[in-house]
This record gives sequence, C-alpha cells and structure tokens, in this order.
Amino acid sequence: MSASLPLIHVVDDDESLRTALLRLLDAAGFEARGYASTGDFLLQPPLDRPGCVLLDVRMPGPSGLDLQAALRRQGNALPVVFLTGYADVAASVRAMKAGAVDFLTKPVEREALFEALQRALARDAAQRAARAEAEQLRAAFAALTPRERAVFDHIVAGQLNKQIADQLGIAERTVKLQRAQLMAKLGVGSAAELGRLAERLRHLAD
Amino acid sequence: MPTDHPNAAARLVRLLAACGLLLALAALAGETRHVLVLYSNNRLLPANLEFEAGLRETLANSTELSAEFLDYPRFDGESYIRALALFLNEKYARRPPTVLVVGGEGALGFLLRHRAELFPRVPVVHTAVARSFLSSLPPLPADVVGVPIQYDFPGTIDLALRWHPQARRLVVVTGASAQDQAWEAELRGEVARFQDRATVEFFAGLPTRAVLDRLSGLGGDAVVFTPGYFEDGEGHQFVPREAARLMAAAAAAPVYGPFDPFIGTGIVGGSMPSFAAMGRQAGEIANALLAGVAPTALRLPEIMLTTVNVDWRQVRRWGIDANAIPGDAIVRFKAPTFLEAHRNEAIVAAAVFLLQAGLIAWLLVERRHRRLANLAVQQLRFELAHAARLAVAGELTGAIAHEINQPLGAILSNADTADLLLASGADRRDELREILADIRRDDLRASTVIQRLRALLAKQAVERQPFDLNGAVREMEPVLRPEARRRGVALDVQSAATAAPLVGDRVQIQQVLLNLVLNALEAVNGLPEARRTVAVSVERDADRVILVVRDHGHGIAPEHLPKLFDSFFSTKRQGMGLGLSIARTLVEANGGHIWAEPGSGEGAVFRAEWPAAGGAGSLGPA
Repeated sequence: MSASLPLIHVVDDDESLRTALLRLLDAAGFEARGYASTGDFLLQPPLDRPGCVLLDVRMPGPSGLDLQAALRRQGNALPVVFLTGYADVAASVRAMKAGAVDFLTKPVEREALFEALQRALARDAAQRAARAEAEQLRAAFAALTPRERAVFDHIVAGQLNKQIADQLGIAERTVKLQRAQLMAKLGVGSAAELGRLAERLRHLAD
Repeated sequence: MPTDHPNAAARLVRLLAACGLLLALAALAGETRHVLVLYSNNRLLPANLEFEAGLRETLANSTELSAEFLDYPRFDGESYIRALALFLNEKYARRPPTVLVVGGEGALGFLLRHRAELFPRVPVVHTAVARSFLSSLPPLPADVVGVPIQYDFPGTIDLALRWHPQARRLVVVTGASAQDQAWEAELRGEVARFQDRATVEFFAGLPTRAVLDRLSGLGGDAVVFTPGYFEDGEGHQFVPREAARLMAAAAAAPVYGPFDPFIGTGIVGGSMPSFAAMGRQAGEIANALLAGVAPTALRLPEIMLTTVNVDWRQVRRWGIDANAIPGDAIVRFKAPTFLEAHRNEAIVAAAVFLLQAGLIAWLLVERRHRRLANLAVQQLRFELAHAARLAVAGELTGAIAHEINQPLGAILSNADTADLLLASGADRRDELREILADIRRDDLRASTVIQRLRALLAKQAVERQPFDLNGAVREMEPVLRPEARRRGVALDVQSAATAAPLVGDRVQIQQVLLNLVLNALEAVNGLPEARRTVAVSVERDADRVILVVRDHGHGIAPEHLPKLFDSFFSTKRQGMGLGLSIARTLVEANGGHIWAEPGSGEGAVFRAEWPAAGGAGSLGPA
C-alpha cells in the first residue's frame, strides 16, 4: 500500500526552506523526502515509486537543470517541478523544453505549489499506467507460440484465413483454431480489437 | 674683346644654310614672343641679377625669356667664342628669339660681329653700354637700339658735397694720360657749378706719391673726387680702379668716384647707372618691338639715369647721415647683419631654438592633453563607478534574489503549514512553536542579506574632506550634460550664491548627485519637450548645505513616498530600485539626510542635505 503512495522528492540546498517545504507537504498529506543536493538525490534512487521531483534550480554543485537532464538520460520519467529563487528567462525556457511540469518562483503560494505537484503526480500516474499496460501487452504477446505469432502477423496485415493457410502451407482449419487461441491469449474479442492492439504494440516497439 | 673669327663664321654660315628650312619653319610658326638676353659677363653677377629682375618685371607675362652669357672677362679666346657661337646657333635654331637684348659692351661687340650668322633679322636692344663706347663704334644698324649709359661726374660730386655738408674743399684728382686729360677737361667744365659750395682744387697729373701725400694731409673740411687715372705724373701706368684704391687708402678725407668698379676699393660711392632701371628700360623697348613698333619709330631717352651706389663701410667710417642716402641707392658691403655674417650658425641656432620652442610647445600640449585626459579619466571613473555598481548589482540580482527569496520562501511555506495545522484542529503546539521560531530566523536571515547588499553597494572607504558642494556639482557637469543631451533633456545647473562647504566624501556625494539626476532623467523620459527638464541646484542656509534635484515628471504617488528609498523599490519597469537606495546610503554615510517631496505643480523634488562645515577653524568630521 505504502509503495503505491506517491512520494515527493524535495531537492533544495537550503535547509531551512527544505524543512519548511517538507513540513508543509506533510501537513497537506503528501509523503515527501528531502535532499540537500542533486548528488544526494541520485545516491538514493527512488526505485519504482510513483511521485515527482520538486527541484531548486540554483544549488552548489550540479544544478537542478543538470539533474533534470540526468534523469532523462537515465530514462527516469519522474515529472519535475522547478522551484527557484530567481526566475531567469533562459533557465525557465530550458527547463520547460526539457519537459518540466512547471517553473515556480519562491516564495510560492501554497495553492500554486500544490496544484503544480498534483499535475506532476497525475502525469506520473498516467505515465505509469501506460507503462503497465504496455508491459502487460508485451507479456501476453510473448506468450504466443511461434505459429500463433506468424498467424497474428498475417491477420494484422489484413489477410483472410484462406490466404494465410496458403502462405503458411497449413490447413485453413488450423488457421482458424490458432486465431481463436491467440485472441484468447491476448484477451481481445474481435478482429478490430486485434488491429488496435497490433497498432499499440508497434508503438511500444518504436 | 673677342676678335673676328672668319673661319668660324664661314662654318656657321654653312650650318645656317643647312638649317635654313628649319629656321624658316620656326619663323613662320614663331608667333611666340621670345626674348633672349646675352650678358657680357657672368649672369649670376649681382648687377646682372638686378638687371634681369627689372627686365622680367617689365616684360609681358606671356613673353618667353632666355638668357645666355659670354662670361667675359674670365673666359675668352678664339676657340671658346667659336664654340659659343656654334652653341647659340644650335640651341636657338628651333626657337629663335624675336628680340635680342645684349648687356654690356662685350656682348654688343660679340653680337655685332656674329649677328649675320646667328640672328640676322632679330632686332637688338643694347643695354649697359657707355655712350663713349657707342661713339667709338661705327653707327649702329637701325634695328639695334638702346639707351646708353654715361658716367655721372657732376652727380657724384653733388652727392659728395651733400653727404659732407661741412666740406668746404673739393679736391679733384686726375692723371696724365690722354683719357685722364679728357676727363680732366670734362671735369673742369663741370665743377664750375660747385664753386659756390666749395673751393675746387685739382691734383692733376701729379706723381702718385705726391697725390697720396697730399691726400693724407687733407682735413675734415675736404672731399675728394676722382675718375682714377691710367697714368700718373711720373709716367707710371695704372688701371683707374687701382689708382682709386691707392687714393682711398691714403686720403684723410672721403673719396668719391663715378665708376661702378670703384665700389669696394675704399671710395665712398658715386652716382652710377642702376642695373634694375636698365633692365626695366630694356624691357620696355623689347615690349615695343614685340608689339610691332619699328625700331626707328622708338622715342628713347638720350641716356640712362644713374643711381647712387655706396659702400656702407665708408658711410660708417665718415659718419655720413644714413638718412641722406636715397631709398633707391644701392648700398654695398652693408655691415652684414648678424644673420648675414653668421648664416649657418644662425640657421643652426634658429633650428635649435625652434626645436626647443617646438619641444616646449609639444610638452605644453602634452601637459594639456594629459590634464584633459586626466579629466576624462576622472569622468569615466565616475561613470564606471556607477556603471560598475549597477553591473555588479545586475550580476548579483540573481544571487541576491535567490538569497532573499530563499528565506522568504521558507517563511511562506512555514506560515502555510501553520495555517494547515491550525485548520486541522489537532493539537500540534510544539510543531507550531518550531515553525514560528523558523519564521523568525528566516526573517532575520532575509534582513541580513539586505544589509550585506547595502554594504556591498556602498562599499568604499569614506574619505572625509572639507569641500565645496558647488565645485563638486560643477565637476559633474561634463558627466551629466552629455547624458542629458543624449536623452533630449534640458539640464539646468545652479550653484549657490555663496560657498557651500561640507565635510564628507566628495566622490560619494557626486555619486548621490549622479543617481538623483539619472533618476530625474528617467522620470521625464518620454514626456513632451517642455517637461523634459531637470534642474540641479545647490542651496545654502545658515547651517546646512542642500543639493536639490527637480524634475517635471509624473511625480511620486503619495503611497510610494515612504518606500521610495528602499532597496529594490522601483516604479520603473526596468528599474532595479537601487539608485535611490544607494543615494540614501551614501547621503547618510556622509552625515546627511535625503528626502523627496512633490514638486510645485508637477514632478518631484529630491533634497539631500548635510550640515554645513563651519569656518576654517571648525572644519572637522561633521
């Protein structure tokens, strides 16, 4: 249960501010964890917990923007909300281009902060759901036998059972049987559904 | 004198025949007015230079002038004359002269002999030829004309008597030869008219010894005139010039002579023909001939007028009144001026002097440049000081904002948390106390940042010196005016009527002025021209010195007045809100006080005041 609760990572070198933020998030019912630097955050990777990062821009050592870039390189899709003492245009543009959810300036109004964090968490949840579904799909697809996969390929290519049977050199009846089996394994009820699924798989493969 | 050269002549005739066609062509084409001058002696002799100057100034500008000279008596001889004639023939074959001017008896003689070969139909003007020489020649061809010269015996005697007004005796020395006797006869006729001015004595045909002896015994009441002589009473032969030299050396009275060559032998001078006048006379005749006047139709003077020639050394020796010397007299051997005597030394000295003067001038200019440069540097320094502060402030803006926003962010979050905790209704008193402590701490932290910032911006050793605010303000004008001009704002700067002494850091006070004026310039930016005015004035009352900066901008909203001088307060979109804050910091650092008030009518008035420094005795830290 606790594992599915979103965790907000607060990265800010200013202890006083960090403490205040953690305190506020706690009071508001969020679970949050503080880090004094980007290094600290990277040393305690938040594994596979839903959540987001509340990130200061200016910090001693690697900046918040550096951390954002590092996360992207690692394929970590944790959404980032920036919170900065000084919103210079160049930094904010760079941050938003790199996919930041928001770019807030200190001192930040509670509502604005919570709203941005909610959006970040929503984005995280959506990303996670999509990832889970894709994962499930991949697993189902992996469970198909080689013959079933071949039939699948011909079906999504729009061929009729008879044509498939001719090409694979098997009886049309066998094609029908395998078609029913693979649709059951993939959990689809119609050819149209199968087509959509094939489309999604192609997307995931890209 | 050159003799006839038949061989040369024959050769020249043949040559002429060969060149005949060319000559004819040249004559046809020869519409140009070409005057050739042929001098007897060296062309560079002073007499000839004077002559040529006179000739040149008289001839029409379009007239081409050539000059040749035989260089008698230094060069002579048959082959030389032959070569010379050949040379002249060759040289002028293509460009024949239209008028020929011959100077001196030698040149006239040469020409008369070679005319047929050289310039057969070219009219000739003779000049500087003595009438006596002409009378010794056969009559001249009709197209050989000129004004002869004559040696002026009476003119020279008259000169001698005028220059020595005390003279009562006129001694005339002549010789024993035929020529000497001719001169004697001429002179005996001439002196009659001087009888009433002096008694005239002739030393005629005496032995030289006797002449010199008697001349040496003359008193201050005598003057001597002599044409020289060729032979003395004892039959000794002389050149007149040498005779004159002996006489001048021996005589106890001034000696005068009528011949130009005598000048320099020790005689005082005489009335002699002027070469410049001869040049002008020859020029006039040449002009007439060139204009087509027939030589026979010319109306020429009988004789050239003469000019006074004088040896300056003798003028000094005999104490002759320099004013008596006519302005057109030719003064020879004038005691060379320093410049003449030491030309090279003078040139070197002048060069050194000029060099030194130049060096001094250069140094002065350099000094001025340096002063101006220093001034400019000083101005730049002001601008830089300000610009640097602003730049530093700009550079620091991020850091500063970060520094300040950090505690502010913490405070806000803590306050929000407290709010949430209170709303939750739970008893979280310990937590709330902790939060309040944090808020207090962060508040102090923010305040410290501001203080640090102020210290940074005003960071400069305060130098407390007595100075006059009027002067400090005037010094800033060269900085302020261009800026005002650049922004199209009329800037008026008024000093106080009296001195405005205060004790403080001059540069900091100037920084205050700069900030206030920049602020005022900003305030009137974009307004109609009539309102784009900023007035700076220095005022003085009993115990205060006040700097006033007025603008006609939009003024200050009443609600803005209290925080006007706060850091980072700005009503300007681009403003950092530091200018007035820095101004206040600096004013107060110098023991003063600054405030703003609405202007009468429109705009704002900023006043910065400091305690006035007392009399000379009480100048000290205010």
